[in-house]
Order: sequence, then structure tokens, then C-alpha cells
Amino acid sequence: MPSSSPALLALLLAAAASVSAAPVEVLVQTPAGGPVADAAVIVEPLAGPVPHARAGAHAAIEQRGREFMPWMTVVQTGTSVDFPNNDTIRHHVYSFSEPKRFEIKLYAGKPGKPIVFDRPGQVDIGCNIHDWMEAHVLVVDTPYFARTGADGRATVAGVPAGRYRLRLWHPRQKAQVAPDEIDVDDAPVRLTLALDAKPREPRPHTEDDPDRY
Amino acid sequence: MSSRSLRHRIAIVFVGLLVLVMGFVLALVHSSSARIVERETQRELAVGAKVFQRLLEQNQRQLETAAAVLSADFAFREAIATQDQPTVRSVIRNHGQRIHAQVMMVTGIDGRMIATTQRAAAAGDPFPFPDLLAQAEAAGRSAGFRQMKNGQLYQVVLVPIMAPTRIAWVAMGFHVDDRWASDMADVTGLGVHIVRAGTPGLLASSAQRAALEGGARYAHVDVPLDGGLQAVLQLPVAQVQAPFEQLQGRLLGVIGAAVLVFALGSVMLAGRIVQPLNELSAAARRIALGDYAQPLPPAKGDEIGQLAASFEQMRNGIASREERIGRLAYVDELTDLPNRTRFLEAFGRLTPGGGGAVLVVNVDRFALINNALGHLVGDRLLRAVAGQLAPLVPPGGMLARLWGDQFAFLLERADADAARTFADAVLAALRDPVTLDGQRLDIEAGVGIALYPDDGPDASTLLRRAELALAAAKRRHSGVAFASETGAEPAHEQLSLIGDMRRALAAGEFTLAYQPKLALGSGRIVAVEALLRWQHPERGSIAPARFIPFAEQTGFIREITPWVLDMAVRQAAVWHAAGLDIAVSANLSTLDLLDPYLGRRVRGLLERHAVPARRLCLEITESALMDDPTLAQAHLDELAGLGIKLSIDDYGVGQASLAYLKSLPVDELKLDRSFITAITESPRNAAIVESTIMLSHALGLTVVAEGVETQAELRWLRAHGCDIAQGYGIGRPMTAAQLQDWLAAFVPDMTV
Repeated sequence: MPSSSPALLALLLAAAASVSAAPVEVLVQTPAGGPVADAAVIVEPLAGPVPHARAGAHAAIEQRGREFMPWMTVVQTGTSVDFPNNDTIRHHVYSFSEPKRFEIKLYAGKPGKPIVFDRPGQVDIGCNIHDWMEAHVLVVDTPYFARTGADGRATVAGVPAGRYRLRLWHPRQKAQVAPDEIDVDDAPVRLTLALDAKPREPRPHTEDDPDRY
Repeated sequence: MSSRSLRHRIAIVFVGLLVLVMGFVLALVHSSSARIVERETQRELAVGAKVFQRLLEQNQRQLETAAAVLSADFAFREAIATQDQPTVRSVIRNHGQRIHAQVMMVTGIDGRMIATTQRAAAAGDPFPFPDLLAQAEAAGRSAGFRQMKNGQLYQVVLVPIMAPTRIAWVAMGFHVDDRWASDMADVTGLGVHIVRAGTPGLLASSAQRAALEGGARYAHVDVPLDGGLQAVLQLPVAQVQAPFEQLQGRLLGVIGAAVLVFALGSVMLAGRIVQPLNELSAAARRIALGDYAQPLPPAKGDEIGQLAASFEQMRNGIASREERIGRLAYVDELTDLPNRTRFLEAFGRLTPGGGGAVLVVNVDRFALINNALGHLVGDRLLRAVAGQLAPLVPPGGMLARLWGDQFAFLLERADADAARTFADAVLAALRDPVTLDGQRLDIEAGVGIALYPDDGPDASTLLRRAELALAAAKRRHSGVAFASETGAEPAHEQLSLIGDMRRALAAGEFTLAYQPKLALGSGRIVAVEALLRWQHPERGSIAPARFIPFAEQTGFIREITPWVLDMAVRQAAVWHAAGLDIAVSANLSTLDLLDPYLGRRVRGLLERHAVPARRLCLEITESALMDDPTLAQAHLDELAGLGIKLSIDDYGVGQASLAYLKSLPVDELKLDRSFITAITESPRNAAIVESTIMLSHALGLTVVAEGVETQAELRWLRAHGCDIAQGYGIGRPMTAAQLQDWLAAFVPDMTV
């Protein structure tokens, strides 16, 4: 599974700030016991200062093959996100979501300015040209988060010892899951959590349907 | 029905059959039409319903597509996303107009309305059609017919707004009104009405709903819509019926025309059939009336033509048979001249009051020629005579052969002078000798003339009178005699003659004279002929030729003859008693011969006077025999049975053949005086007399020559074997007393 850059950064920061740190390993499962991919695992400190995202924290959601990649991204508040267009056609990326409304009109290549996600919340991103293109960004106020892989596992590394609230989120979750509180020591925290969410269903590229027109 | 004529019957049958067939056709077409109309109605309804449903689906898809396109509009989505009420209301109005939606409602994911164009509703109200919302959540979109709070009917389409996940629902309503129904009606060809089941009102209608309940004139089908609504599709039955009614109307017209044409045609055909039949029947009526002359119209080749041809053959056959029968009845076969019957008829056609003359012509001595030279020669002679007489016939006149050698002319409008002139011409024509087989035959003839109406009122009387005149002419050798000169006083004189005769008979004015008959072989007087004499007190002696034919004609002879017979038998008895061996001859007329009591009376006389039968001889003329040969023969047989001698008088004047006479019980033949007069002058006549004598002897008959006047004749007769002679040359008729003296003085002279 590809390692997330912010997660790596957070891990490095945590390692630098505190001597005592441990990873939180979570297995997210559906109530039926299947793995839930693309679920966000968010670990928020219950006390103490929340470390701000460093200036220039950066993420990218590229467009390739007329799909947003990745489909789901978790960023800390203040992170700027690039939308590099690796397709030969242009895209018109937009979001009407409350935490971040933006619009990058028809562009090719890398847009001039990245979008800074400065408020926490869920941001749904689409392309006005390609209705099926969909990306979700969860903006959180903590540097400790991870995304589950296809096996439903995610590891939030370098979480300093302390008491945390652990939240799960998925773009297609059917209901909000009540957060758990965990204590982090030296030892890794291993959890198996349930989340009722439908898996991602790639929507058909209606543009490619030869019968459509 | 009692039809009048063949023509009507043919026409009625033809037209009736056609009407029957056409009636069947019409009934068939009618019932078929009704079935087809029914089927067509159902089919049109089914097709219309299918089209209607397809239209609905198509409409719905179009609306959905339009709604989907609208909901994907970026600006629209952006505006909705603002959640700003005025903005959202404004944008739904604006975008609603783009796709002609009358109602637009934006509903949040939670089912509460964000904005609506409906006045009655407000933001925050729950979406009025949660069922549609449920369907849309399951299927991504939904649609249906819904009634809004304002009572109007809409087709509502519910689609999501994606950004890119679903952020809201937008519902678009399209008014379903009368115009919509009319558009649907235009496409389906059916009346379209939208109703809510169980309620009376029309939500939308393509027309007035007047006919919705009138089931008879409209057929309908119900198409259920969602939301408890249904579409009623109507088809006016008349619309389907119209072409069939038109067809039936035309068919009716065609049938009418056909019946008319057929009626005319069959009447004409019947006319063509019947007309020749009518002509045939008219011809048949003509034939029935005896008119065979008019030929039938030329026959055509068909059966009627054949009938007409057969009919024509029949007509010709009848005509020719009629003609042959007519010939047999009216034409003398030997000479091709008209016969007696035809002559009598022709007389009947004489112009009344126009006058005319009847001339009877008779060839002298024909019977002798006939017997001597044979029938074939006799027949040819008659034909030759006819050939000589025929050219003399004047216009309007006629020449007929009455019988034997007796011919008669009928001259129209001829008086006595004209008749005399004509008679002279006839005699002159006959004076030309006739040559048969190289032999010349000299013919002489006599003519008797009777004038109409002076000598008689009818043909038979005139003929009889003319024949009497002819006999007189022959006796007088005058060639021609008029009936008025012979027994033919004018009518009043004749009437007085009858009275005179009656009186004379009673008064004893009649007497008998006896003429001796000399047997040439022995020179003896062997018999006498009793001849009637009338000594009239005023007129003196009346010639027998003047009253005897008249007595025969009137029948008075039947009273005279018995007297004559009585007297003759008395005289015979006297002579018998006196020892004289003399037979007595008496004459019998035609009427006497037909008297059924003749035989009985004669026998009575002979017995009463004790006279042997052989002392009585009865003389009969040929013509008397010919009137009724059968009866005559019977009576002659009876007389012969008594032993009485029978003699044929005046032989040679008539046409009786010897062969016929031989069949009679006749003993004696008396040659007519005209033959005797001619024998010494014409060798031809002599030859005829000679052969007649020979033939008579061969047949066992005694030959008597009458009218012997000269010694030369007497010698010739004796030389040629004639048995008996009678005439002035031997002795005149005389009274019984005179005869006795004459006999006493008679010296038989065998030397003569």
C-alpha cells in the first residue's frame, strides 16, 4: 500500500517532539466482518495542544484516467492540496462543500495555486466535465490519522503517549460511529473496529458509452 | 304469383334471382362489416392504447432526461448548493422555464423542501409525494402523475442533484391538461380523458366528455396510470364504421344499378325470346284461319329459330297438303280443270244480280270411243278436249269438267246472245279434229245453255237445266240449245205444267204409244217400246222432251212411272192372252230406280196381270245408274231376280263403261241414235259402232240400235251383227190397236 506523505511527516514530527511514542494499529471491519478500505482513522488528543500543521504541508490529488486519485484523502487543517492533471484533457474541479468551496476551471497540467483546506470537515470534490469523477477530502485538526488499505488495516505511527479520541470515517458510511477513547503508551495500540460503510463503487465513465450519443 | 306472360315471368325470375343474390351479398357484407368494425374498433383501441402507453413512457423519459440535464447544470447545482432561499427559488424558476416545467421543487436529502415554485407550499415543508421520493432513492430517479394541492394534474419527475454526491432532489412537474390530452389524442387517434377512478370529474380531456358514458356510439379502453388515475381512451364507432357504411352505400348503389340493368336486360332478352314466339303464335293463328300464304320471318340460328324453321316447314307442309287436298277436292285430276265442286263454289261467288250463263258441253259418242279405243285413248281425248276448251275461258269465267265427257263453262255477266256466241265458238273449236297416235278423231259436241237467274236460282238447278238443254240439243242435232227452249217454260208456266200433269194423269190425257223393235236375225218384231204421249186438251200434243225432263226434275215422274208400268203390263197381258209373242219395254227414270218399292210393285203388277216376267223389259239411262250406283245395282239385282229383262238406254251418250255395265244384271244395250245416224257417213263412227257390237256380244249383251231411219242403216246393222233395230225406218210409235194392225200387215223382209 502506498504510504501517505502527511502520515510520514506526522510520524517524523512525533518522533522528533516526544521520546515516548507508539503506533496505533487499527483493523476496520464491516459488521459482517469484511475489511473496509478507504476508511479514515483519526486520532485526536483529548488534552494538550494540538500540533499545527507545519507551513507548507502539502498533499496532491491527481487526475489520471479521468479519475481522482486517491479517492479519499485525509489532511490536517491548513494543508494545501495540488490537483495535478495528468490527463491529456482538461478538467474542471469543484467543491460545493461547506468547509471548502472552490473551483479550478478548465485547466491542464498543474494548476498555478494549490487549494488550502483551512477548515475541518468533509469536502466532496467533483469534476464538472466528468460527472463520475469523485474525490473526498476529510480535513481534520490533528496530525495523527491514517487511511485503511484494501485489507482494512491502517497504522497511525508516532502517536505520543497520552489519551486520545479515536474516530472512524468513511465517505459512504451509513451512520456516524461513536468515537473510542484510547491511551497510548510505549506499546503499539491494536484495535479492531466496526464501520458500516458501502465500499467505493467506481461510477461508469458515461462519456465512454458509445451509445450515449 | 299469377304472371301474365312469359316476358314478365322471365324478367321476374331474372331480377328476382339477382335481388336474392344481391340481398345475400349485402347481408354478408353487412354482417362482415359489423364484425370487421367490431374487430377494427378493438384493434384501433389496442393500438391506440399501446401507442398511448409508449408515448407516456417516451414523454416520461424525455422529461427525465431533461430533468437530469437540468440537474447536472453546474450553475444550477452551484446555486442549490448555496442553500440561499431566494437564490434557489429564483434558479428553479429560471431553469424550470428552460424545460417548460410548470412546477419545480427542490428537496433536501432529509425529505424537506428547500425551495418550491408552488405558492401553497413553503421551504421546510415535507415533500408532498414521499412515495416518489422513496422510489427515487431506490432507483435513482422516479416519475408519476400527481395532483397538486391546486387540483391540477402534473407529470412529476424526481431526479437527484449530484455534486458529485447527491446533495438534493429536484422535482419537476409538467402540466397534464386538456392540451396535453389533445396532443395525445392527435397521435393516438383516440379521445383521451384522464380521470381519477371512482370520481366523476375529468382531470384532462381531449374533448368534451359528453360521450364517455354513451356506450353505444363510443368504444373505449382504460389504461391505468399510477396514483389511482386512469386514462380513458375513446374511439367513436362511427369513425370506424364510416368507410364500411360508404362501402355499403356504394354497394347498394351498384346493386340498384345492377338490378336496373338486369331488369332492362332481361326484359329486352325476354322480348327477344318472346317476340319470335308471338310471331309464331300469330302465324299459328293465321294458319288456323287457313292463311298459309304469309311466310314466317327469317329464322335465327338459336332454338327459337329452329322452332320457327320447323314451324315454317310445318306451314309449308300444311300449305302444300292443303293445296293437294284442295286440288283433290276442287281439281279434276285427269284434265287439271276445276271439278264440279269448284264450279259450284265459283258460281256462289258470282256477283249477285250480275247475271251469267252456264254452258254444259258434251262430246258426242264419247263412251263408244272410250270402249272401242280403250280408256287411255279416252282419257287422252278428254285432255285434248280440255286443252281446246281452256283457251276460250273469258276473264272471270271458268271451265270445269263435271264428270265423264261433260264440261261446263261459267260465264259472268253473259246474256243469251253472248252465251250463244260463246257456244258457237266452243263448237267451232271442237270441230278441229283431234289427232291421237297419228289417228284423226272427228269430234262433235253439243252445248246446253242455262241463263242465270232466268233459268234457275242456283248452280245445281242451272247445271241440270243446261244438261237437259244439252240433251235436247243432241236430240235435235242442233248443236246448241237453251234451257228456256226445252223443258223450260218460264216459272209460272212450269208451275201450271205440274198442275196440268196431275190433272192429265187423272183425266187420262196420258197415253202410251208402242214402237216396234225388229230382230235383225229373224226379221220378226220381238218387242215394243212403250212411249208416253200427252194429248193436252188446249195445247194439243206435247212433246215428251218438253214435259218428261220437267217431270223428272220435279219428282212428278214417280207418279207417272207406276201408271206407265201398269199400262204397259196390262197391254203385255192383253198381247200375251192374244198369243202375240211381244215383250214390252218401259223407261225408268233416276228417281224410279231409287224407289225402294220398285221391285215389289213390278212383281205385284206381273202377278196381278199374270204376265211372264220375260215379257217385260225396263230401260234405264246411263245417267240414272250413275246417280247412286250401289243402290241402283241393288234394285237392278232385285228386278233381274224376277226374271225381267233390263236394258241400258241411250248408250254412248254417258260415260259408263262396258266393264261397269257388265257388272250389272243387264241383258241389252241400246245404242244412242246419234251413233246410228252417223254410221253410213263416217267410217270412223262405223268402226266404233262395229267394235261396240262385238264387245257387247263378247259380254253376252243384246245390242239394240235406236233411231234407224234408212234401209242402208238397216242393212249395215244386219251386216255387222246388230241384234235388234228400232226407228222410223221400221215403224213409228203407235197405239196398241194400230200396232196390232201394223203387225198383221208386217212382212219380214230379210233381203233388206
